[in-house]
Amino acid sequence: MEGLLELSDVTVRFGGLTAVDAVSFGVAPGEICALIGPNGAGKTTLFNAIAGNALVDAGRIVFQGAEIQGLTPHEIAVRGIRRTFQNGGLFGHLTALENILAGLHTQIASNFCGLLLGMGRSARAEAAATARALELLALMDIAHLCDHPSDALSGGQQRMVEIVRAVATNPPLLLLDEPAVGLAPPVRDRLCTIIRRLAKETGIGILLVEHAIELVMSVSDRVIVLNNGSKVTDAPPEAVRADKDVLEAYLGRS
Amino acid sequence: MPRSASDGGAPRRRRNRHVFWIVPLLLLPLPLLLDPYQQYVVNLALVYVPVGIGFNVIVGNLGLLAFSNVAFFGIGAYSAGILMVRLGLPWWVALVPAALSGGVAGCAASIPALRGVRMFYLAIMTLAFGELMRWVYIRWEPVTGGSMGMALPTADLFGWALDSEARKFYVFLGLVLATIVATDRILSSRFGRAFVAIKSDELAAAAMGVPTNRYITLGFAWGGCVVGIGGAMYAALIGHLTPIAFDLTELILQFAIIMVGGLGSLVGSVLGAVVITAAPELFRDLPGFQELLFGVLIILVILFLPRGLASLLARLHPVFQDRYYRG
Repeated sequence: MEGLLELSDVTVRFGGLTAVDAVSFGVAPGEICALIGPNGAGKTTLFNAIAGNALVDAGRIVFQGAEIQGLTPHEIAVRGIRRTFQNGGLFGHLTALENILAGLHTQIASNFCGLLLGMGRSARAEAAATARALELLALMDIAHLCDHPSDALSGGQQRMVEIVRAVATNPPLLLLDEPAVGLAPPVRDRLCTIIRRLAKETGIGILLVEHAIELVMSVSDRVIVLNNGSKVTDAPPEAVRADKDVLEAYLGRS
Repeated sequence: MPRSASDGGAPRRRRNRHVFWIVPLLLLPLPLLLDPYQQYVVNLALVYVPVGIGFNVIVGNLGLLAFSNVAFFGIGAYSAGILMVRLGLPWWVALVPAALSGGVAGCAASIPALRGVRMFYLAIMTLAFGELMRWVYIRWEPVTGGSMGMALPTADLFGWALDSEARKFYVFLGLVLATIVATDRILSSRFGRAFVAIKSDELAAAAMGVPTNRYITLGFAWGGCVVGIGGAMYAALIGHLTPIAFDLTELILQFAIIMVGGLGSLVGSVLGAVVITAAPELFRDLPGFQELLFGVLIILVILFLPRGLASLLARLHPVFQDRYYRG
């Protein structure tokens, strides 16, 4: 398969500390790739490096054939890498629908002066985006929540809205940062189904960081294990389950 | 759980917003009912509507505690005044550069925020901008008239002299409506959503492809532009500009407008401007107690309506529920 995202020898340092040390791997379209490892292994830092929130000190990150390291987060988002956040990145002051509309931001063709002068094209672009956002909410069966302030939704609902918001523009690559944290088992199962459907039906490449190991094993095509900033293993879930190095990384044996 | 707000997912967004047009219509006969002094107070309230709206876009929608508002107000007023006095331009022509210079001042005032300055640090840095401008008004005497200020010729609209409070009222009402409609259009578009997204979570906003710094500058520019229009209206209303009108007391008054009205609410900006301007007049018969009662009023509102007067209206009827604002 052709690579969608290719990391080669990516290194991120914070002062003297090397958080991510020469990590290389790739994600293909439609592939679900999980990043696991103990706390402090560099998973989130690697995520931030891909999304433009952390500075890459060495190595290259190539997305759809173009290097993206050094771009700002919004430039990377415009190119088609969307992400969710560990602690819930919903806009609490906006409703569920407005959150989706914010996700569609780059696809709404309204311009400032057009809006000021009340031009039809800008108004229509906004209206079309609203219709599209409602459609997306309906696909996830959460259309009835559209006018609810997003900070008044339950944890599970918030996670769903955040995922819808991240994929609203049909991005080629989706980064999920601990999507299952704090979710009840039935909601987790639903989340698994959604993640799998997104990858297999729409061909989105998904890279996820997750601690819930059962979820990782059941949902991903490939598992990458990080420890102390370095890649330990890159293999299908069954192989990783049997791998001694992985157990060591988690249990700290030496 | 689904509350009354949800009814099957149909967009039930503020369909009755056109009822708001009743308000200006009802105001039309006002000059027939008021004496010139009362009319002056109403006009002053109208001046403070754009001042509050611009301030609220920056503080309430963008969520940035920037105290540069009096600088925008003064720059708008002095731009109009200087162009009228020194270049002999009519007021309605000077109105455009006054609004633009307010917008440029807004861009300039956004620089500390772009450098990542936030909260109290931003408040103090932007406050310094207003004080610096006051220094300019005093020192740049040949142009601004120094601390004595400068008297302005009568304002006019296409040659129609605004020589009575009633005439000023109609022109101001039109301007105020234009700024309200324009600001509402921006706030309800992707631009307004980007502003509020920045207030909620800047990192997440950037992850949606929003160039946050550009939108911060845009918010400041629009705020400054609207406040600049307020400044030009002030120049037309008072007919005389002095640096003392743009001091810290003025800033506190303008901040009270958005706090009392409701942070992040367009309706709140209007309410706040009216109440903060009119309230001291209600207590005019009690000299000495005027400031005290005014202070008590502000404390009572903040104490019992912490989200501002807009929350009172929002509870009254859903049509008053403002976007991005929950009373």
